[in-house]
Amino acid sequence: MTKEELITKLKTIVKPYIQNEEAFTNLTEETDFINDLKINSANLVDVILDVEDEFDIRIENDDMEKMLSVKAAMAIVNEKLATK
Amino acid sequence: MIGNDIVDLKQAAKDSNWKRPRYLDKIYTKKEQGIIFSAKNQDQMVWLLWSMKEAAYKVNVQQFGKRFFNPKKLVCNLISFKKGTVKIGNKSYFTCSETTKDYVYTVATLDNLSFYKSNCFKIVGLNYFTQSKFLKKEMLKALNRSDLDIKKNKIGVPRVTLKHSKLYYSLSLTHHGNYNAYAIANL
Repeated sequence: MTKEELITKLKTIVKPYIQNEEAFTNLTEETDFINDLKINSANLVDVILDVEDEFDIRIENDDMEKMLSVKAAMAIVNEKLATK
Repeated sequence: MIGNDIVDLKQAAKDSNWKRPRYLDKIYTKKEQGIIFSAKNQDQMVWLLWSMKEAAYKVNVQQFGKRFFNPKKLVCNLISFKKGTVKIGNKSYFTCSETTKDYVYTVATLDNLSFYKSNCFKIVGLNYFTQSKFLKKEMLKALNRSDLDIKKNKIGVPRVTLKHSKLYYSLSLTHHGNYNAYAIANL
């Protein structure tokens, strides 16, 4: 999967939970789920579960701990896919 | 230092399905899940424990300057519906919660006897950003100073500023659905 494909998939996953349309439209690797997209932290759990379902992976709490940005989420997904 | 968190129960019911597979396991310890399942009002208990964790987390971030997302690492101990503690590693935070049929609100502090001022109010029909602005204005009114401003630092911790210089208040802002609250204490 290319970087762009992965970003597109993540974008689809976060879409239902965002509260800042502008930051969503301009989403990059640097985008922060909470500070930029204004995703409610209770919904960040949904984002993580949706990521697990979409890529058929399991994210441990130690990995989840870092998942605050698009970049961090991409790194964790790639790492999990590589060890599958 | 102070942290607060509010959950609009109607909004939470709309936005979050905590009965979704693996949801509770990601955020609550086995003991906390036991408290939830034995509660008379399970929805209320899910969000009471959640607001305790969030409020304590906000104090922890001010203390150590490091953000993270691992709600299960924040361990709740409920003394009553009102009082509790949250442990994050070897640090303990004291919580004071208010639970109504509409919302759950928690203030967390570093010690049991902290003096603080907090206020919780309802606003209907504003979007995220207008609500956020309104909340900051209300908080400045409470401080009774018109020469102050509230700005968030890089990691999202709000600070009271006076023409670019920091003032020594610890503050915390929260809004969810139709409910808003703020808490202020000395640093």
